Amino acid sequence: MTDGKPILAVERGGAADSLAARPKIVGARVKRTEDARLLAGKGTFVDDRRVSGLLHVAFRRSDHSHARIKQIDCDDARGMPGVVAVFTAEDMASVNAIFATSRMKDYHATAITALARDKVRYVGEPVVAVVAETRYLAEDALELINIEFDPLPVVIDPEEAAKPSATLLHEEAGTNVLCAREFRTGDVDQAIACAAVRVSGRFRFRRKSPLAMENRTYLAEYDAGRDELTLYSSTQVPGIIRDALSEALDIPGSRLRVVAPDVGGGFGGKASLYAEEILVAFAARRLGQPVKWTSDRMEDLASTSQGFDQIVDAELALDAEGRALSLQADVIGDVGAYSIYPWTAVIEPVQVVSFLPGPYKIPNYRGRVRGVATSKPPMGPYRGVGRPTSAFVTERLMDMAARKLGMDPVALRLKNMIQPNEFPYRIGSGIVWDQCAFTECLDAACEQADYSALRARQARARAAGHWFGIGIACYAELTGIGSRISVAPGMPINTGTETAKIAIDSTGAITAAFGVASMGQGLETTLAQVVAEHLGGRVEDIRIIQGDSAAVPNATGSYASRSAVLAGGAATLAAREVKEKLVRAASHLLEASADDLAVEDGKVTVVGTDRALTFRQLARAVYLEMGRIPSDKREELTSTRTYDPVFGTSATAAHLAVVEIDPSTFEVKIERFVVAEDCGRLINPMIVDGQVHGGVAQGIGAALYEEVVYNDEGQNLTASLVDYIIPTATEVPSIEVVHIEKDSPTTLGGFRGMGEGGTIGAPAAIANAIADALSPFNIDIFELPVSPERLFRLIENATTDRKESTHGHEA
Amino acid sequence: MKPPPFEYLSVDSVQAATAALAAANGEGKLLAGGQSLMPMLNFRLLRPSVLIDINRIPDLAYLKDEGERIRIGALTRHRMIETSELVARQLPVLSEAMGHVAHLAIRNRGTIGGSLSHADPAAELPMMSMLLDAELELASAKRRRTLSASEFFVAALTTDLAEGEMLVSVSFPKMPPSAGWAFEEVARRSGDFALACVAICLERSGDRVSHVRIGMMGVGDTPMRATETEALLTSGRPLDDHLVAAAVGSIRASVEPNTDLHASADYRRHLVGVLAERAIRRAWSRATEARHG
Ligand SMILES: Cc1cc2nc3c(=O)[nH]c(=O)nc-3n(C[C@H](O)[C@H](O)[C@H](O)COP(=O)(O)OP(=O)(O)OC[C@H]3O[C@@H](n4cnc5c(N)ncnc54)[C@H](O)[C@@H]3O)c2cc1C
Repeated sequence: MTDGKPILAVERGGAADSLAARPKIVGARVKRTEDARLLAGKGTFVDDRRVSGLLHVAFRRSDHSHARIKQIDCDDARGMPGVVAVFTAEDMASVNAIFATSRMKDYHATAITALARDKVRYVGEPVVAVVAETRYLAEDALELINIEFDPLPVVIDPEEAAKPSATLLHEEAGTNVLCAREFRTGDVDQAIACAAVRVSGRFRFRRKSPLAMENRTYLAEYDAGRDELTLYSSTQVPGIIRDALSEALDIPGSRLRVVAPDVGGGFGGKASLYAEEILVAFAARRLGQPVKWTSDRMEDLASTSQGFDQIVDAELALDAEGRALSLQADVIGDVGAYSIYPWTAVIEPVQVVSFLPGPYKIPNYRGRVRGVATSKPPMGPYRGVGRPTSAFVTERLMDMAARKLGMDPVALRLKNMIQPNEFPYRIGSGIVWDQCAFTECLDAACEQADYSALRARQARARAAGHWFGIGIACYAELTGIGSRISVAPGMPINTGTETAKIAIDSTGAITAAFGVASMGQGLETTLAQVVAEHLGGRVEDIRIIQGDSAAVPNATGSYASRSAVLAGGAATLAAREVKEKLVRAASHLLEASADDLAVEDGKVTVVGTDRALTFRQLARAVYLEMGRIPSDKREELTSTRTYDPVFGTSATAAHLAVVEIDPSTFEVKIERFVVAEDCGRLINPMIVDGQVHGGVAQGIGAALYEEVVYNDEGQNLTASLVDYIIPTATEVPSIEVVHIEKDSPTTLGGFRGMGEGGTIGAPAAIANAIADALSPFNIDIFELPVSPERLFRLIENATTDRKESTHGHEA
Repeated sequence: MKPPPFEYLSVDSVQAATAALAAANGEGKLLAGGQSLMPMLNFRLLRPSVLIDINRIPDLAYLKDEGERIRIGALTRHRMIETSELVARQLPVLSEAMGHVAHLAIRNRGTIGGSLSHADPAAELPMMSMLLDAELELASAKRRRTLSASEFFVAALTTDLAEGEMLVSVSFPKMPPSAGWAFEEVARRSGDFALACVAICLERSGDRVSHVRIGMMGVGDTPMRATETEALLTSGRPLDDHLVAAAVGSIRASVEPNTDLHASADYRRHLVGVLAERAIRRAWSRATEARHG
């Protein structure tokens, strides 16, 4: 069923007026209802679950980057007191391998199994699982396991791995290039030939870990009498995991449930299927006892999906007036050892080329991408997905072009941006932007920052010897995408619909269930606001159920900035229907015409009188006090509706960073950070602010601190938080957020998604600000993160070059 | 990330602690604040047979004014030193350094005895004890002995502590009131171990440096004194830009830093010069202030 376009037409009819007519719950700064428990330490995360007879899992992981498993000796471990079971791939032959399939051509899926079979392909890959009475004993037993490995050549550098002569990680694929794609519009070569200005570079965006505060945790309980399995998982995607486990373990969905209780952050790192989830579910069923595995931080850094990691050779060509003529890019994405389920290895690298043209009119475009397998944990979705890299590349090129042309970078952007009257606009990669606030966001960010005053201040700072820089980044993302577009091209599962199931029960209480899964972003509050708005209830009376595969038939979860748009739309449809039922019941009981009834604050009132019925009274009349409403008029106060935005919408922002670099230590200080963003109609501005702040903080991490480092042998050198460093409160400035509330014309309620954006703009804006600060030395930034060490090298090289060239002059 | 099995023993005196250490035949480990020990246990980098918890020993956490010196008990928490008025008055450079030790939560638990015994080359307290010429009081079941800081630190994570020996207190000579001082550090983030750090105490006579001590860390296997640079600064030349530049050159030439994930040897060498210049200038101006104030 699609509730998309046709309903939209109706919705547009009078929606604006009726929303404006009453005090808005949608749009209010409602305090997050879940915070009462989360901030008081009363949340329940998977690891908090207490069950009797719980067994604990520890994994023996590969310490080899690439090796054949010759032999595994677990006898001593099996015999250790306290050890209940030891599993290897051999013991799990009955479990079906899972494949992230795709219709995309030139794509190769790889088998996903709980434990490595025959070969290991990255350091940290699970090989043996020990189940014991305590985690301590399980870890002691790991030391008794003997694995004989036959080392194979390392496959760690993505450019080397892409060569035909490279050692293969997956022989059956016949190549390490798991996916390849090309987008073409116009004639790039021709355009370059006539260009007045060309700027180019080899850009490197390093690998990053999602690093949620809560490590991944899985607890499975098996009810042998009923043959029912429940997996409690710190996941963003309970329904997707349910479907995958159903296939892996051959259990129908009716007897398999995946519950994501409170989840402490995800950022994409909990949006995929994990080997440990399969193992824990399998072990609980095999042993008939509850089984739990909680990742420690070292395991998290070694085995949770990772993000970004691309090499981009790109060139932008412009005419003498600064009009962009063409953009071309060749991208190599390091997708790690396996094609991740369900998103596939395509998700991150292909997004880079899909979004490179960004908000600009660039008539000729060629974007080529290869996703290359290497011995690292799989690449997965990470907040921003590909777009932080595309924004970094395109926005750097814009600044480089502005310098070359002697133009102001803001003016150059405004000149090339798709203008308000030019929507919808199809960019070179084929993406169509609906009504986007590109110029509005950029103008607003400049106004908030007082851009011209900043430039004046920069001139003074420079004269005084300070390294002061201003950086801008503009971007757009597709959000809330519907059934016509896959999150990853060719992916066989639908993520474009969302269901709301709303019920008023016999006590008059309202329960609304969804297929989304909140990992801390406040969906319990925002969805309650939408339901309250359209049902006429009170936010505090509405209980939101989410994060449960049993809540609705297809509970895929939360990812890709979809939840507010899709669940918000579904909530609107279902809430309206329940409201109509309330009105019909009240109309009968109050003997008033439906037109004279108002539903607000949990009661139905005859307008202009004091005659009213509370939801509780109405519910009693409907469900309990038989005879008050004739049976043929009695309707259950429930509705289940599915919403599909079909294509979806887009969200936009402009980020502006002001930095000062210490000219002797090369430490970067972010002085100011301004975001002007458009996520359409705001449901809760306070929550939007929080999402922007968090996203920007992660973008600052990507720009200045965070980098997963593998050495030539494929060992992870950043497997603890001493070496994988993230910004803390002291490194994140206060962030100024301006909202441009431009309703989306293509979604119900006008919402645009917004969870990821902060991470997309910040790295590019900071890179531009640093390059701007260093422009007197002709230093450009091509690599992120910009650590003080990298700056030191860049500056050393630039100053020695200069010295050398002056020497040359003298001679 | 769970420790291997170990025995746990809580002791209530230094005698009991050292007796337990002796009985463990080198397999025992003292547990103070646990801020360095627990991670090492959880990573299974250490496998002691017994953990001897010294947290319940009375009278091991204190700051005492002994006239010429200040004595600090081994179990004194970083936070107590950081907030001590006695330290702020008599050892202001130490007071300032304490704010750079890790984060507040860690400073609430971590102890001076633990930090010195752990001897991390990028930790503040080992360096400050070198800078300030601290004396360390060690006890074993059989005897007590006193070592200077420069004798105590042998190599990265290695001290002169013998098997069965523990650190019981550290004593610092008070700084002369006219001394100028400075503490300069660069770390990736606030609270991180230093990439490089320089601390200075100096006294001036007219336009010359009469006494100077320079401590540095992050630029070698142990915290160090920059003795050549100290000699240069007290060679009788007036402290002017030339002398400062020479001092920067000399301190850079004197170090052999390591390269790691966060900084190369070259960058660390560069930093130590930058920090030395800042520290010399700041200490010099403070010494001036002290004279007139
Ligand atoms: C995230 C983090 C960041 C940190 N950052 C910094 C930093 O920036 N600068 C810094 O200086 N430190 C830092 N630390 C370390 C911290 O200062 C520790 O507190 C300190 O190194 C150890 O003190 P402790 O009392 O916790 O010792 P413990 O961890 O209990 O013990 C450390 C070692 O010393 C031994 N030991 C303890 N007491 C004695 C004694 N009296 N005699 C003999 N041996 C003893 C123990 O057996 C053990 O081998 C950091 C720690 C963490 C976790």
